[in-house]
This record gives sequence, C-alpha cells and structure tokens, in this order.
Amino acid sequence: MTQKQRKLVRLTACAALLCGVVPTAGAMHIMEGFLPPSMCILWGVIALPFLLAGYFSLKKTVARDRRAVTLVAMAGAFIFVISPLKIPSVTGSCSHMTGTGLGAMLFGPAAVSILGVIVLLFQAILLAHGGLTTLGANTFSMSVVGPFVAFGIYRLCLRCKVNKKASVFLAAALGDLLTYCVTSVQLAVAYPSATGGVSGSVLEFLGVFAPTQLPLAVLEGVLTVIIMMALEAYAQPELRAVGFEEANA
Amino acid sequence: MNHGHGHGPRSIDRLAYQSGMGGWNPVFKTTLAVGTLVLCLAADRPAVSVAVIVALAALQKGKGGLPLQDYLGLLLVPLTFLLLGGVAVACDVSAAPAGDWNLPLPWFYLCASADSIRFAAALVLKALGAVSAMYLLALTTTACELVDVLRRAHLPPLLCELMYLIYRFVFVLLDMYGRMRQAAGARLGWRDFRSSCRSFGGTAGNLLVLALRRSRVYADAMTARGYDGDLRFLEEEKPVYGRQIAGMLLFWGILLALAI
Repeated sequence: MTQKQRKLVRLTACAALLCGVVPTAGAMHIMEGFLPPSMCILWGVIALPFLLAGYFSLKKTVARDRRAVTLVAMAGAFIFVISPLKIPSVTGSCSHMTGTGLGAMLFGPAAVSILGVIVLLFQAILLAHGGLTTLGANTFSMSVVGPFVAFGIYRLCLRCKVNKKASVFLAAALGDLLTYCVTSVQLAVAYPSATGGVSGSVLEFLGVFAPTQLPLAVLEGVLTVIIMMALEAYAQPELRAVGFEEANA
Repeated sequence: MNHGHGHGPRSIDRLAYQSGMGGWNPVFKTTLAVGTLVLCLAADRPAVSVAVIVALAALQKGKGGLPLQDYLGLLLVPLTFLLLGGVAVACDVSAAPAGDWNLPLPWFYLCASADSIRFAAALVLKALGAVSAMYLLALTTTACELVDVLRRAHLPPLLCELMYLIYRFVFVLLDMYGRMRQAAGARLGWRDFRSSCRSFGGTAGNLLVLALRRSRVYADAMTARGYDGDLRFLEEEKPVYGRQIAGMLLFWGILLALAI
C-alpha cells in the first residue's frame, strides 16, 4: 500500500469508529428490506475500511502479476459455489455453509473481504440470498468478521502448537458462530426489544436462530477439516500457489 | 444439477435471460428498481409496501412474461429468515408477563402485544416489497449488464473485471461440481451421513484443485488473445422510451402519495 492508500484506509477506519460501533463485535444473510435505511448506511460505512484495505492488497497482487486475476476470480467463484451447496445434514433439511472460514485460511482474510462483497452481490441477484440494501451489514458479518476471526483463531492455534485438524475445526466453526452472533447483534440494534432493549433483543435473535445455526457451525467445522485434509493429501502445489503453505511456515 | 429446491443460481440467471423486459435499458431498470427499493424502505408504510409488491408482480407477469407461480415461489425463497426474524421482532422475552399474549416457559415469559405484532407484520410486508424491487433487477437484467451499469457508475475497473470473471467461473465450477457429485453418487457416496460428509469434503477439495488448474488455463488463453487488464464486451444499444420514464415517475408519484 502506498502512503496515500494507507491514509485513505485510516480515514475510513476513523469514520467507521465515529459511527459509534467498535468493529469488534455464519450463515445468516439478512434479507433485503429487513433493516431500516439508517442501519444499512451505518453498516456499509463500518465495512468500508476493510473493503478498501482488501481492494488495495488485491491491486498490489494484480500489479505484481497480471495473471493473478484469474486465480483471484477463481477463488471468488469457489467461495460462491461452496456456499450454496447443499451439505449433508442429519435432519434432511436444506442447509448451506458459509465457506468464509475456508476461504480466509486458503486465500487470506483481506482478499476474502473484497471477494466477499462481490460474492454477496451475486448471491443477492443470482440466488436471492441477502440483498442490495443489506449488502453492507452482510458484508460486515460474513466477509469481514467471519474471515478475520477464523484466520486469527487458526494462526493463534498453530502458534500454540494445537493439532492442525483441531485448529482448522475451531477456526471454521467459531468463524461461522461469530458471523451468526454479529448478524443477531445487527438485527437487535435495528429492532431493540420493548422491555429488554438491545441486549434483550440480541438474546431473542440468538435464540431464534440458534437451532439452525449451532449444528451448522459444527458441521461447517467438520466439513472444512475434511476439505483441508483432502487438499493437503493431494494438492500441495495448488496450496503453495495460493500462498497457504507460506502462511503456515 | 438438481439442487432439490429448484432455485439454484441457474434458475434466476435463466429467467433473467428469458425475461420479456430484457430489451429495456439496463440503466433505466436499475434506476427504477433501486429507486423503488429506497422509496419502499424510506416510506415504511404497509400501504406502500403492498402497492410495490402488487405493482411489481403485475409488471413481471405482464411485461416480463414470468409465470406468476414461479414469481411467487421466488418471493418465498427468504421465507425461513422472514418467519424467524418476524417472530423475534414480534415477541419479547421478559421475566414477568408484559404483553397482551404471554406464553410461560421454564425461566421466562414469551410475550407479544398487538402493537409488536402489527409492527412485525409491517416489517414483513416491507421486506417483501424490497425483495420484489430487487427481483425487478435480478429477474430482468443479466449479470453482465449489471456489471456494465456498475462500470458506468465508475466502479474501479479491476473490480468489474473480477465480477465478469467470477460470474463466468461460477457456472464453470457448478458444471464441474455437478459431474463430481454424480460420480460420487454412482459410487454410493451419498448413502448415509458419514459417507456424505466424506464425499462432500472430497468433492469440494477436488473442486478447488480443478478450479486453480483451470484458472491457469484461462490466464493463458486470455494472454494469448492480448489481454492487458481490460475486458471489453460488445453491448447491445437499448434505448429508453419517454413512456417508460413517464410510467416510472407516475409509479413513484403514487408511492409518494401513499406514503404521505
């Protein structure tokens, strides 16, 4: 990143902080029209610094090697295709994984944040998952918090010499879980409950979505472990190509 | 590939290509859809939401030639979210009975009042109106045209390029995945939960390997054709007619009148 780009990222980060929500705070797309306009703008502003950082890092990658464009685009398409795939589920209902944890571990969280917006836009117009006005909120929960948390946990576990499979599982499951928590918080801030305020409403939304989301998070963790095992068994060169091996070295 | 629920990425994409409104100017359609969406959200009145839902359904049926049954099926895609979210908004959790209706549960009461239910119903209608507005765009405009609209709105070229490529690659990968899924099925890979998990992990991992291999082939092909960081496509000239703009303004005027 150049000096100017760094300044821009910092500036938007300040703007995001000024919005009063510290961005510390899964597979729930908030549907189109469910958030009031002020909330849509707020979450858009909060997601913006991450997107800019992702965009600049992407620009650097592409400037270094023009051919990387197809690789990055394939990564985006992979995240898109993985997310709406029907995954095996015990109840027979139709469930989907987020794929963001896997994406973050493979391609790095910054790249996933910018790919995530594009994927979310396509999910809105090709799958009717999510929406145009809720793009900011969904971006923040699914392609900023999820990937960054998953990546952070993964690196932390590896540094603490936790078993690799366990770290992958924890990263994917917790990343998914946190996405769902953030979504609940986003909904609760928009619709605080009459008696309990925002915190009461958070509990309500968490409770309502828990029966579908908790098993999904565990399943996502298990499936991500299986995918990573398959990749490590017969795709070492490809993993090196996307920079996964260096990150672990 | 059969997804079991019939609303995979292909169905909306196919409907967008088949739509009778495909000949309309994409910039006009985007303006109409986004403007209606913003009006519906900003007005926040059940009457406006219902007007948007009915008018856009009529437009999709009349001008777009979309069977009403398909359209209603698509409107119900976010149904689970709508119901769960609506319940969470309508109901309240408290230690003592506080609403008009109270459901005692082991540690707390689940309460709902007439007001909160009315609010939730309005919210559900508003969300459905907004989804209709989004469908006006999604079901009549192809993804390539949408990216072109975004390009004209000065989205960075790198992102437009990525969007074109991702859109294309999504269908390439879906094809690959469909074949792998079938192959795994032929080997009884989806027989029970355990083997399903194994097959799913295996196919998804294999998909990534094939995707990366393909990306190199695509890069070679693009370089061979003189690609230097700019993807250009031939665009069809689609004029905007005065009566379309008049219709749009009239529709917005009616919505505004309903909102006040």
